[in-house]
Amino acid sequence: MAQCDQTIFYFFRKLKHKYDSCGLILLKKNKSLFFDSYENNILLFYSEIKQIVFEDRTFLFTLSYMEALQTHELTKHYRSGLFNRKNIVALEKVSLSVEQGEIFGLLGPNGAGKTTFVKLLLSIALPTSGTATVLGHPLGKRALKEHCGYLPENHRYPGFLSAVDTMIFFGRLNGIRDSILREKSNALLELVGLKEWARIKTKKFSKGMLQRLGLAQALINDPKLVFLDEPTDGVDPIGRKEIRDLLLKLKGDGTTIFLNSHLLSEIEMICDRVAILNNGSVVRTGTISELTAQKLAYNIQLSVPLSDNVRERLQQSLVHFESRDTLLIVSLREKAELNAIIDILRRGGIGIESMTQQKTSLEDYFVKLVKGENAQ
Amino acid sequence: MFRFTVEEALRRGTLLFYFGVGTIILLVFAFGIGRLPSDPDMVTLFGSPLAHSTSPNFNVVDFILVMLHKQSVSSILLFGIFGIAGLIPGMLEKGTIDLFLSKPLARAELLMARALGAVSGIGLNLAYFFFGIWFIFGLKLGVWHWGFLSSVLYVIYTFVCFFSVVTLVGLITRSAGFSIMLAFVFSIISWGLELREKGLYMLWDNGIYHRLLDALYYLTPQLNSMLENSTRVVGNLPYIPNPAEFSIMPFVYSFVSTCFLYFLSAWYFSRQDY
Repeated sequence: MAQCDQTIFYFFRKLKHKYDSCGLILLKKNKSLFFDSYENNILLFYSEIKQIVFEDRTFLFTLSYMEALQTHELTKHYRSGLFNRKNIVALEKVSLSVEQGEIFGLLGPNGAGKTTFVKLLLSIALPTSGTATVLGHPLGKRALKEHCGYLPENHRYPGFLSAVDTMIFFGRLNGIRDSILREKSNALLELVGLKEWARIKTKKFSKGMLQRLGLAQALINDPKLVFLDEPTDGVDPIGRKEIRDLLLKLKGDGTTIFLNSHLLSEIEMICDRVAILNNGSVVRTGTISELTAQKLAYNIQLSVPLSDNVRERLQQSLVHFESRDTLLIVSLREKAELNAIIDILRRGGIGIESMTQQKTSLEDYFVKLVKGENAQ
Repeated sequence: MFRFTVEEALRRGTLLFYFGVGTIILLVFAFGIGRLPSDPDMVTLFGSPLAHSTSPNFNVVDFILVMLHKQSVSSILLFGIFGIAGLIPGMLEKGTIDLFLSKPLARAELLMARALGAVSGIGLNLAYFFFGIWFIFGLKLGVWHWGFLSSVLYVIYTFVCFFSVVTLVGLITRSAGFSIMLAFVFSIISWGLELREKGLYMLWDNGIYHRLLDALYYLTPQLNSMLENSTRVVGNLPYIPNPAEFSIMPFVYSFVSTCFLYFLSAWYFSRQDY
């Protein structure tokens, strides 16, 4: 792999100019961009490129990696009551980071502080202490909001405006030129399935339609990061599927999505990583599979059912197991026991066709975690 | 935001009602006011003679315009608040403010655009009415009363000052009802402060108390003084002996207090959680 020189960078910039409308190939694992032929999609964040290397006909771009969002001990306390000023902890030292281009879900029971967290990031509420950066900008900067979209919970739109006028109004607030706004608004309304309703006043819209309009509004400025607070609230199942597909498409285009939702099944379907918030504190973060994996329970698919001999040996090993025909379910005290079980099976002449770690649903995990936390 | 607020203000039922009432008054004058063909100096309303427009010490056209000015201004100022007092608390409603504050706009910018948009709704109504009256009187009576036309600027200015109080109250209470109520209370206080030497001073003969009242008078928009002076631009009523001259000072003092109130509102707004 050879080090790339300035000439190639310049060549690439020319290419970028030529293929300006192209999309993004972001390999998240090694945080690099690549393309292997001129026909492929190209996207370049100039400021984020640290190194360019190429091998054969493949260019490899290493990004100077930037989090889409990073908070450090973000805290918010409210005071309530006129005379007896009670201190209410909405968020307590929340430290989170969200990678660029991922769908991140924030879960939590009502009053956990999910909405407050987003409000702090967008300077709708002001933090008591702690720091945060969004797209590299500290909180409160205008540039931060220029690149963010937001769909709040229970959003309200002026009923006297039509859907397209609502889009134009919020587009203007984003500083988008009038000359492109109408076309852009219509395209987004079509994307969320409101094309036929573009000229209808929003006071006639159902909850689901307002939700779609809210989503379109959140995308009017082509945001790099979108905050969505209960985006599928009030939307029918088909609409939900469409919204999920749209979010995945946005993710494919490189947009980072920050999702607040109670609908755990939806979070499970589309989020790359989640954080669970309870009583204002982050209690868990990780990928869905990390959170839902039952660490020491495995399903082992055998080639033949357990023989009496092998069954006896397994019992002697004091491992808790269950067998149903060719399926063996084992619960271990420690991971090392897995090797011992495999050895017993092999010695007994039983082949292993597959082995999977048992998983729980996100909902089960969430309920168990929150109940456990609250019991403490 | 400014354009949106003007549109929102004009679509509000109360302002549409004022527009309707204004139009009816304009139509009444357009069709009713005139002069007797046999006596061109005699001003008539629907054919009934009112008075000679050239009586010594009494000009009926001035009188009508002053009365119109006084009545329309005091009513639209007080009732105009009904129409637009809800615009600031409305902006602060959950679900609306989140959307506004998530946009790349400074909070002060947002608030000022909202406040100016709101007063523009009333301003447009006032300008429409004043221009209409001025035009009708000019066309039908041949009196192009520039004082009457220009007085609308003073009236709109007075409303901008008045609205600074409503803005601050609306931000603090987040309630249209409270804003309206306190706006009325303020207009009464303003009237009381203007007459402090003849009224409030008598309640307690104490120098500090008197200076406190003076300070309050100069620190708040001088609503009553401004309205009276805006009427003096049109003319004085004939039955008032030794009428006072127009003074720009209440407008100047109110400019300072209005700026202070809007600044205070912007500062308060920028420190609030929504």
